[in-house]
Amino acid sequence: MSPFLAQVERDLMIAWQNRQDLGVMLIFFVIIIALFPLAIGANSAVLDPLGVPAIWIAALLAILAGFDRLFAQDVRDGWLDQVSLSRLGLGWYALAKAISHWLTAGLPLLIMTPLMAIMLNIPTIQWPPLLIALLIGSMGLTLLGVIGAALAEGSRRGGALMALLILPLAVPLLIFGTLASQSADGIISPHLMLLGAVFAVLLALAPLVAASALEIGETETGL
Amino acid sequence: MDNRNQSKKAITPANTASDDGLLIDQLSVLRGMALVISKLSFRQRAGEICCMTGPNGAGKSTLLRAIAGRLSIAEGSITCSVPLVYVGHNDGLSGAITGRENLAGWAKINRLLATESDIDTALAGFAASRFSDLPVRVLSRGQRRRLALARLALAPSDSLLLLDEPNAGLDQASNDSLDQLVRRHADGGGMVLAATHLDFAAIATPRSLHLAGITAGMTAGKSSGLTHGGIE
Repeated sequence: MSPFLAQVERDLMIAWQNRQDLGVMLIFFVIIIALFPLAIGANSAVLDPLGVPAIWIAALLAILAGFDRLFAQDVRDGWLDQVSLSRLGLGWYALAKAISHWLTAGLPLLIMTPLMAIMLNIPTIQWPPLLIALLIGSMGLTLLGVIGAALAEGSRRGGALMALLILPLAVPLLIFGTLASQSADGIISPHLMLLGAVFAVLLALAPLVAASALEIGETETGL
Repeated sequence: MDNRNQSKKAITPANTASDDGLLIDQLSVLRGMALVISKLSFRQRAGEICCMTGPNGAGKSTLLRAIAGRLSIAEGSITCSVPLVYVGHNDGLSGAITGRENLAGWAKINRLLATESDIDTALAGFAASRFSDLPVRVLSRGQRRRLALARLALAPSDSLLLLDEPNAGLDQASNDSLDQLVRRHADGGGMVLAATHLDFAAIATPRSLHLAGITAGMTAGKSSGLTHGGIE
């Protein structure tokens, strides 16, 4: 087995042992969505156009909420020291982290989404573009979160700083994602392509940025 | 992204051809604003065991982390031509999974071909088989240490073992196992560099490196502060 797959396997094993975190994250997702109708009131003329944006905002918050501990545990345990000396390399390590985090956070959200769409009365014709856009968007958000978590690792006040760094960068994903989800011209809309372009850029950059952030954070601050 | 030997910033490829082993040349390391290691030169060849001694804060852990590439170097160079295996203050074990899973994962990310029986042997070397299938978070400090040290049994035979207080929290039997393992590794052509307060491997220590520590921070302007203990 390659070092890369071994790292993914390790993270999935750890996530399975901490599986109650997944439940917390899903409940968080459902509650944010449930708050929208409660706050706006039972007026379907106002509520109907808000269904898709509500799902996107809830997904964004739920995915990014899990990120403050992404690297922290490995740094505290000393695993990052072992990774940096291994045949894996910090870039592949960051990508492995992104994949395992998406599998344990993004994918469950995606599976929950049809249920939420029923709850928000989103017409079934809108489901395919919503799910496709959310698939790409959640992977992009995960990569952004990896960058933020790696940058925050160098500083001591991780969580709050990370939210400040990452939320503005999530704006393009949110804009293209919501537009692609509500597209009237089929699943493959121009907005979806732009969303895919943002994802492609993040996929290329995130491992490199995260690797250098982890290297700098570790070497400059000492321990 | 294979960064085992070459990615450390200060490693100068020009020096690597000369000899196998570890070469430290005029090394200075800063931590924060404090100079912890100043102009240290040191050489270690295959088959040698070296014990670092010195008071707390003399820079033993700093030197090991610098060799492992986890600290940036202010000046000088570190050249190492063999794989590094580092056991530091943190054991590098995840509390959520078992000791065996931790050890197998470590072998895999290092591309070491460790079969189930290799891992069994490594665990048995530190009498860790009994608790290796429990989640690491329920284990004691010494038990975790033994799992971390079990890695050394899987290390490539030519590797340099960087051990930071390896016997902290170990019982006598594990101490003896560590002594044996270190000597076997050196006999097989590997190198060991250990920071230790105890008499670990004392029987078989051909060399020692004493870090006297730097007093410059306390007595600024006193030029003799920037000296290091020599190498015997």
